[in-house]
Amino acid sequence: MAAFIDEFCGAFAPADKDLMALHLALEEVVTNVINHGYVDGQPHTFTVELAAEARRVTAIVTDDAPAYDPLARAEVDVSQPIEERAIGGLGVHLVKKLMDSARYERRDGRNILTLVRTLGGAA
Amino acid sequence: MDIIESQLNAVTVLALSGRLDGLASPTLEQKVNALAAAGTNKIVFDCGQLTYASSAGLRVFLASAKKLKGAGGKAAFANLTPAVREVFELSGFIGIFDVQPTAAEAAAAIG
Repeated sequence: MAAFIDEFCGAFAPADKDLMALHLALEEVVTNVINHGYVDGQPHTFTVELAAEARRVTAIVTDDAPAYDPLARAEVDVSQPIEERAIGGLGVHLVKKLMDSARYERRDGRNILTLVRTLGGAA
Repeated sequence: MDIIESQLNAVTVLALSGRLDGLASPTLEQKVNALAAAGTNKIVFDCGQLTYASSAGLRVFLASAKKLKGAGGKAAFANLTPAVREVFELSGFIGIFDVQPTAAEAAAAIG
């Protein structure tokens, strides 16, 4: 998937910061789907679609795991000290922080997560 | 990801290079666990050549910091690249971890 993102982005050469954000957000989302969604031992498929417009990239991840909205997870309290910080939940937190918008839908038995990042922005 | 281990006074320095992603994180976790089992409780993670860290990597850093603290020691971080600094900032790690400009300063801070 990392090679796919690099190849797709090669055409418009985004800043390192934007490229890193896309890699990271998609790794987090796909890792969650595989580790937490695909737990029944059956074969599954997911798709990652990327679309570029003038100053933004949209990524759509579609999977056939049971209905699950990752965006509904409780917010991570980033101010807690080391002893009290929970080990999990950081992936979704990073996705929300790195993307300008994130939207979840359940349609036709599939989870559809749509992420948008504005390129060259302050985010 | 590659890990190069060295010693700076009483502190173990792990110089990390490459991508600390979901695939590489278990390698680092095993390394830290082996060091901790052998009695090491002060580790500097030198991130000067680390180009990428996902939440899987952050989890290993957090688990390592907790483990070392529980053993009466401490973790410190040095040489953050822009990509790693950004995830440290977004996750709040920049405020809870000892982050220093260089490995030598990080080792001095926890040594």
